[in-house]
Amino acid sequence: MKWGLALRLGRMPYAPVWELQRRLHELRRAQKIPDILISLEHEPVITLGRSAQAQDLVAPKEELVKKGVEVFSVERGGGATYHGPGQLVLYPIVDLRALNFSVRQYVWALEEVMIRVGKDFGVELFRRPGFPGVWHTLGKVGFLGIYVRNWVTMHGLALNVALNPNGFAWIVPCGISDLSVISLSDILGQAVSVEEAENYALSAFSEVFSRELVKISGTEVKEWLSRHGLEWRSA
Amino acid sequence: MELVVPDLGEVDTVTVVRWLKGEGEAVEAGEAVVEVEADKAVFVIEAPAAGILRNAKPAGTQVRPGEVLAQIQSP
Repeated sequence: MKWGLALRLGRMPYAPVWELQRRLHELRRAQKIPDILISLEHEPVITLGRSAQAQDLVAPKEELVKKGVEVFSVERGGGATYHGPGQLVLYPIVDLRALNFSVRQYVWALEEVMIRVGKDFGVELFRRPGFPGVWHTLGKVGFLGIYVRNWVTMHGLALNVALNPNGFAWIVPCGISDLSVISLSDILGQAVSVEEAENYALSAFSEVFSRELVKISGTEVKEWLSRHGLEWRSA
Repeated sequence: MELVVPDLGEVDTVTVVRWLKGEGEAVEAGEAVVEVEADKAVFVIEAPAAGILRNAKPAGTQVRPGEVLAQIQSP
């Protein structure tokens, strides 16, 4: 089996991880590093994808500033979304050609990872044709937003494990005004840890992408970037 | 030379979301020129050769793989 790297960052603000993604994406495109999977939780943040409309941001700016919630316009596909503690985020920076994946197969694979995590918790999640992401009968649980250049990906998926859904009221998520958003913990009616979901997700990723994952630390990644003349301010 | 929507694999249509270069602007070979989106994935299309960008299909247009997005006029 081929291998890739897994970087677990814990809870992080958005900006430094976005910067890290862009640096690693550049190096992966230049074939200077292997595939790498970043997993983390974000501090509360709103991001607007390339399809977001001005009216998708509902909350008054002052309210967001007061709550310390930043808003970023980013290069991924899709509309507005909310990230916060209790949500597992995966950013795979992988070469789709080496995986022999089309963009559609990649979307399917990310959905499959989330469906398998659901199954590991005993929750049945499913796809809805024409609506990328994963769903439960009670609402949307898993979200996608991807950026591809030279067949190398960045951004990725977000799975609501035990997320307080109030942040979604600040936006029109995915451009769908009546979208119900729900977490695994609400479906199960019990506490679910993001760390456990992360363990399941890394195993599922390894299977679905046929890649053995080798752990790498943030410090190692920093050293690695500096060898390529790049800096990363981690927080 | 033509700037063509590549085959993304089982994707019927993509939407032009953003031109990174403007009409009449010079582009280098391999430079990112336009972003298209399908299935929540943004895909960057690069210039196949250096030249001047002409007749770019406006953002919001739906295009199919193989379809011409713009002309790259030799400089």
